[in-house]
Amino acid sequence: MITDVEELLREGMERYTADLRAPAGLTYQVTRRRRRRLAWRSLTGGAAALAAGAAAVAVMLPGAGGPRVSAADAAYVVKNVSNALSAADPGTIAQMTITTTGGPGGVTSAEEWSNGNEWRSVTYSSPGHPLYDEGYNPAAGYTLVSYPTKTWARQAGVGQPAAPALGDSSATRDCGPGLGGFPVLFRLGLPGTSTSTSSLPTTVANALHTAVSCGSLSVAGRQTVDGTDAIELKSRAGSLISETIWVSPSTYLPVRVIVRSSYARTIQQTADFTWLPPTTQNQAKLTVPVPAGFRKVSLPQAIAPNLKRIPGGAVPRPTFSPAGPAPFGRGLSVPRPAALCFTVRRAAC
Amino acid sequence: MAADRSTAELELFLAERADHLLRTAALLAGGREAGEDLLQTAVERLLRRWRRFDGDPEGYLRRTLCNLAIDDRRRAGRWRQKERLLRTDLRLARDPAGEVDLRDALVRLLLQLPARQRAALVLRFWEQLTDAEAAAVLGCAEGTVRSAVSRGLARMRELADEWNDTAAMSGREEERS
Repeated sequence: MITDVEELLREGMERYTADLRAPAGLTYQVTRRRRRRLAWRSLTGGAAALAAGAAAVAVMLPGAGGPRVSAADAAYVVKNVSNALSAADPGTIAQMTITTTGGPGGVTSAEEWSNGNEWRSVTYSSPGHPLYDEGYNPAAGYTLVSYPTKTWARQAGVGQPAAPALGDSSATRDCGPGLGGFPVLFRLGLPGTSTSTSSLPTTVANALHTAVSCGSLSVAGRQTVDGTDAIELKSRAGSLISETIWVSPSTYLPVRVIVRSSYARTIQQTADFTWLPPTTQNQAKLTVPVPAGFRKVSLPQAIAPNLKRIPGGAVPRPTFSPAGPAPFGRGLSVPRPAALCFTVRRAAC
Repeated sequence: MAADRSTAELELFLAERADHLLRTAALLAGGREAGEDLLQTAVERLLRRWRRFDGDPEGYLRRTLCNLAIDDRRRAGRWRQKERLLRTDLRLARDPAGEVDLRDALVRLLLQLPARQRAALVLRFWEQLTDAEAAAVLGCAEGTVRSAVSRGLARMRELADEWNDTAAMSGREEERS
């Protein structure tokens, strides 16, 4: 006879609720629910309800010209962004188009796709011709196609994204310059050198976390971006790098990011995000195609000419060091260009 | 006087404990969606007083969840049909092979108990509170908790015995055939 009913009941309750997870951004959802209810009351009720509704609206994300919001409100938004990015990975493919203006190379652009650990980046020259097509997937490793030299290379163990895991507090909360994970939203590394591990949802989420926990981002209001009434997050005045991020109010996924250097104001990078469902057609965008007639070379041979094309001055020269990170199995370390770092307050880059 | 607490602090707390609280809420309310709704309402109440809140947020939320669940059930009055429904469900779902279905059946029974009895069982066997702690959460005497738990468990033992008898009968029939 079964006597341990209490234990069976406890196990039953465990099983019954095993798959339950609290929804992301619970406090934000609750706040929105309360706002909606108060707003409804304000529409249907009397003066007291109207006053309550107005008070609730005062703590909402402000519209253009609205009241200033506290860091907590920014934290709400960024938490939701982070949750959305976390939920989007690995199911959703992040597509990003980056345009750089005012740099030594004139107007350049790049398209990037990422999904989980896979990524692909195509860099275009000023006239819009492809320069490099590179990407990584766990099965094939890193593939680089260099259009100027008509060569291609593939090597395992290179190009794996080094984005810290979401929720890693050391990666998301430190603001100092000595971190492994710089608070960079995109174009981390140099194109055509196996270091362009950018635009990963985790990288973006961690950068947003860092930016907010360092107090460098705040909610600035709403603005229409590509037809979306997006929430705008801005860096504080006086930051070395000024950044503006727009996120969708419905999905909290970023739709656009603009980064400017405060000391070289002409340089600006704009990234437009599209979040693609993981269809076969979209998955194919993560694969680097090798054009017919291109010559296969070793990876260092493929990269060497690309390093020479990096404009001097804006980008530090790469240095070999035995103890450094090892994209080729040896120690090649490519310092990050100053213009690509942001939200670091002092002497970070 | 308590210092102002930031919303980020609440978010941090919820990031750690919301899953567990949602599970409690689902057991108290009798379903996932109802549980989510219950938890949101409780969090909303906490959020309203958070800046000056001085105490254990989990205890507060647990107490609010119980009170809301009891109030909701009292209003709905659905528990009256519990036994009839339960017996029908049991006969349909019974599987003599194992205790897994019995566990499910016990939870189904739990979800159909009167709200206060159910809350007492959830607090005692899910939250693993003592009688005194459960009484504090429910705002009643320890004896009330004990009797609610006792009545609930008695009903469950009946169910388990009935289950066991049916299983034994099925086993004998199989042996004969």
